This record gives sequence, structure tokens and C-alpha cells, in this order.
Amino acid sequence: MKINFSSRRLGTAAASCVLGLAFAPHTSAAVSDEDFNTLKDMVQKLQQSHEQDQQQIQKLQTQLGDTQTQVQKTDATVQAQSTSAIRDALHNFTMVGDAEIQFAKTLRGADDSNGNPHRSGFLLADFAPIFLYRANDNILFEAGFDIMLNNGQANGTLLNSETSYTHDSGSSTSVSVSFAQLDYLINDYITFVGGYMLLPLGTYSERSAGFLNKMPDGPLGREFLPGAGAGVQLRGAIPIGDSGQMLTYAVYGANGPSSVDGSGNAYTLDSNGNQIHNLDLGGNVGLMSDGSIGNMHTAPSGGGRLGWFIPWGGAHQDLEIGVSGQTGVWDDAGNHYWTAGVLDAALHVGPSFELKGEFINSWYNTVDVGRVHPWAVWAQAGYKLAGLNLDLPVISDIELVGRFDKENDGLGTHIQRYTVGYVYYLTNTLLFEGDYEWLHSNDASVPASQLILQLSYGF
Amino acid sequence: MTNMKTSRFFRTSFTRATARFALAVILAGGFAATLAAADPTAATDKTGPVKKKLTGAELYVIHCNRCHQERYPTEFNSAQWQTLMTHMRVRANLPAKQAKEVLKYMKEEAGK
Repeated sequence: MKINFSSRRLGTAAASCVLGLAFAPHTSAAVSDEDFNTLKDMVQKLQQSHEQDQQQIQKLQTQLGDTQTQVQKTDATVQAQSTSAIRDALHNFTMVGDAEIQFAKTLRGADDSNGNPHRSGFLLADFAPIFLYRANDNILFEAGFDIMLNNGQANGTLLNSETSYTHDSGSSTSVSVSFAQLDYLINDYITFVGGYMLLPLGTYSERSAGFLNKMPDGPLGREFLPGAGAGVQLRGAIPIGDSGQMLTYAVYGANGPSSVDGSGNAYTLDSNGNQIHNLDLGGNVGLMSDGSIGNMHTAPSGGGRLGWFIPWGGAHQDLEIGVSGQTGVWDDAGNHYWTAGVLDAALHVGPSFELKGEFINSWYNTVDVGRVHPWAVWAQAGYKLAGLNLDLPVISDIELVGRFDKENDGLGTHIQRYTVGYVYYLTNTLLFEGDYEWLHSNDASVPASQLILQLSYGF
Repeated sequence: MTNMKTSRFFRTSFTRATARFALAVILAGGFAATLAAADPTAATDKTGPVKKKLTGAELYVIHCNRCHQERYPTEFNSAQWQTLMTHMRVRANLPAKQAKEVLKYMKEEAGK
């Protein structure tokens, strides 16, 4: 029975095949060539579209990868910038400066009131920080202070006599502003400076810190010039070639000197009735200590400096020369002028030898004594013993220095001084300096000679 | 009359002092030129000196050492050197490009 059923099925299938084969050519002939080509085009177009889609997908995947990488980089940059901003905010503020301790022993030509011509003691303790704040690449605010320990003073009368005396008693501390100025770097050639500025009359006022000067005290004649003034200044440098040679300039307007009593007299009296010089070269800012506006002259003073720096053999072989000056009225009425001119020069011959100096000349007209003409000259030389190549640890760290200076205040007092000394470099910024000075003057208060020792630190 | 004498005295003293200062500068210049001529490091070959642009390190020695002892780059960090060089560019009146070269050198060698 089973066999019969299979045989019938096989027969039906075979018949179907025969029919299929018989009718197949008739069915194919029903699709036209045009339909076939249309269908073929459609398939091809679909294939192209598919390929384009694949390419687009690849592009998008690539772009996505790039974007992810960019995002990662941006994240890293932002993180670095935020870290840097925090660091810069802390490090834009920097403090530099110097500190000194001095010991002095003086010998007067004539005995003092106690019959003892010798005096010695620790002369001063000074801390002079400079605060720098850089707002950005072009703006810097800088302020220098001088914090100094001073002797206090007590007055009294001797027992059993009516002789008065003064006596050093205790100590006090003075704080003064050396300069406080805003620097704006306008471009590569012009910098604007405004505020209470160090004045470029010669070079000493801008290079006078204890560890720069190489002498425990300053040269004579600088008291004939204002060290700083309130005003504005333009300064800059123009390089010449690629050797480091350059021309430098500075022009400024600043409140000039003033008159202690307002008049144009050469002398006036202080609160104790002592005769003092009437010309006051100190800072004159117009605003009084009680907040009122004081006399500010008829116009500020004007001044400037031109300098020429000439290196000729690379490092440590150079000459710098400069000419500077300032002029303006000094009495309240604005009828009398004060004028100063300074020539300066500095020479380096090799790493061991240095010679520098200034010639200071000033004039001012007065009501009572006519034209007064203070002037001074100083020259200072130094030689580092390392230049001898002795290979001795202490000797090679010593620089020998010598100085000659002379001044005449134009009102009858003159001083001439010879100085020899040394600098022992404990480190590059810690200096132990000493000098011995011989002085000649017609002023009895000027010592005949003195020894000054100084420990100076620049930071 | 006294004023005239005083004035003459000042003029004479002024002239003498000026002459002495000028003489000192001239003598120093001559001394420097002599030493420079005797300096073996300054010798050049027959073709003359080879001019090259100074590096930041060379400019640092030229400009900084003429006023103070060498300050080591590691004494301050990079940001501090930028502030200090802005200060020194103004104080020492340094040309901008040379100051930037010096700053670049100091930053490369700066402490962390």
C-alpha cells in the first residue's frame, strides 16, 4: 500500500516537470528586453546608491572619530589652561629687592664735644623690597620700598647745669616709597611709565641697590639730583645691528624741585631756627598730607636721557655713555629755574675690570645769592681677582674697588674723598663689602676718615 | 665782585673737572682697546670676524652682567622670569627683541 502511494507521487512530480519544461520557454518570452534593461538599470542604481551610502557612513565614522579626538584634545587644553591660569595668577606677583646691614667706624679731624674723635657702631639695617605685578605681557606695576631702622632721639638737660643734650634712645622704623610706577609696553620701541618714577639722571639712581653699587655708600654729588619724581615718562631702546649695540632714550615730565618756604631764597630756617638750604629736591606731588592741594609750580619740570651702549667683543667688553638733564622752576612763584645736566660712562674690559663714573652739574637761581652752581664728579673702578686665574677659593671671590669723588654745593662747602675697598662674593647675591675712606672738607662735621662694612643681599 | 670771583672759581673748577672726567674716559677707552687687542679670544682669522646673531644666552651675559652678578635661570620659574624680564626691560632699557631672546633662554633653563 505504501509503495503504491509513493509511486503515484513520483508520477505526479514527473508529470509536473514535463509540463514545466514544456511551458517554460513560453513564460520567459513574456519579459521584454526593455523591462529587463530597466530592471537592470534599477539594480545598478541601487548598487551605486548602496556604495554611496557606505562611503557616506565611512566618512561620518571618520568625522566622528576626528570629533572625538578633538574633544579629547580640547578637554586636555582647557584643563592645562585652567591649571596654567592658576599658576600664572600666583606667579604674576613677584618680589625682588635687597637688604643691607652696615657697621661704621668714623674718625673726625677735630675732637667732638666729648673729646673723643672716634665713633663706631652698627650704622643701619635696611630692607628694600620691590613688588612686581604683571597684569599681562604688556603691563607691569612695580613699587619699591625702603624700610630702615633709625635711632630714636631723647632731649634733656644735664644735672647741675643748664646744658641741653640729645641722646640716641631706642629705635624707630621709617618706611618710604622709593618708586611706584605703572609700565605699559606700547610697542617694541616705546614704553610708557607713569607714577612715582626713578629719574634717569645719570645711571646711579636706577642702579644704586647695595648689591649693585659695590660700595657700602653712594658717591658724592647724587644729593644734588632728585632720585625720583612724580610724573610720566616715555622710554625705549633702538638696537643697532645684531651685536647688542643700542641707543636708549627716556623723556619725562615730573614735578620738579620745590622751595621749603616757598620763596626763591637760597636759605631758610627750620622749625628749630637752624639755617637750612631752601631748595628741596625731594618728591613734590602737590597733594598735601592733610589732603589739600599745595602749590604745584607754574609747570612741571622736563628732562630726559640719551644713551649709547657699544659692545665690541661679545660679553664683558662694552662701553656705555649717556647724557641726561632736567630743568624747571623750583620756587612757588615760578620765577626761578633749577637745571641739571649729567654725563655718565661705564666701561667693561673682560669679566674682571669695570670703570664707571658720572659728572654732575646743576644750577639754580635765587633771590638772595644769585646763581648757585652745585657740581660733583665721581669715578669708580673694580677688578675681580678671578681674572688673575690664581685658582684660590677665597681670593678668586674678591673684587677690589677704588673710587674718587668730589663735590661742591655752590654755597661754600666742598668735599673731596678717596676710597679703597673690596667686595667678597659669598654667593652671587650675598656680598660682604668693606671700604676705607679719606675725606677732605671745609665742613667740620665731615669725618676725616671712616671704615664702613656692609653685608648686602640681593634677591 | 665776590660773586664774580666765585663765579670764575666755579667756572675754572667746572672746566678742570670736565677735562679730568673726559681724560679719564679717553684713557679708559684706550686701556680697553689695548686689552681687547691683546685678548686672544678676540682674535679672528684672515677672513675677518664671522658675524652671527647673538643667542639669548649671549645677550643675557652682555646685558645683565654689566650691572649685577649673574642670576641663575633656576632661581626662578618660567612665569617669574617673564615678570622679571618685563621689569628689567623697562629698568635697563633693553630692546624688545633682545629682551625676548633673553627671556626665551631663561624660560628654557628655568626652575620648575
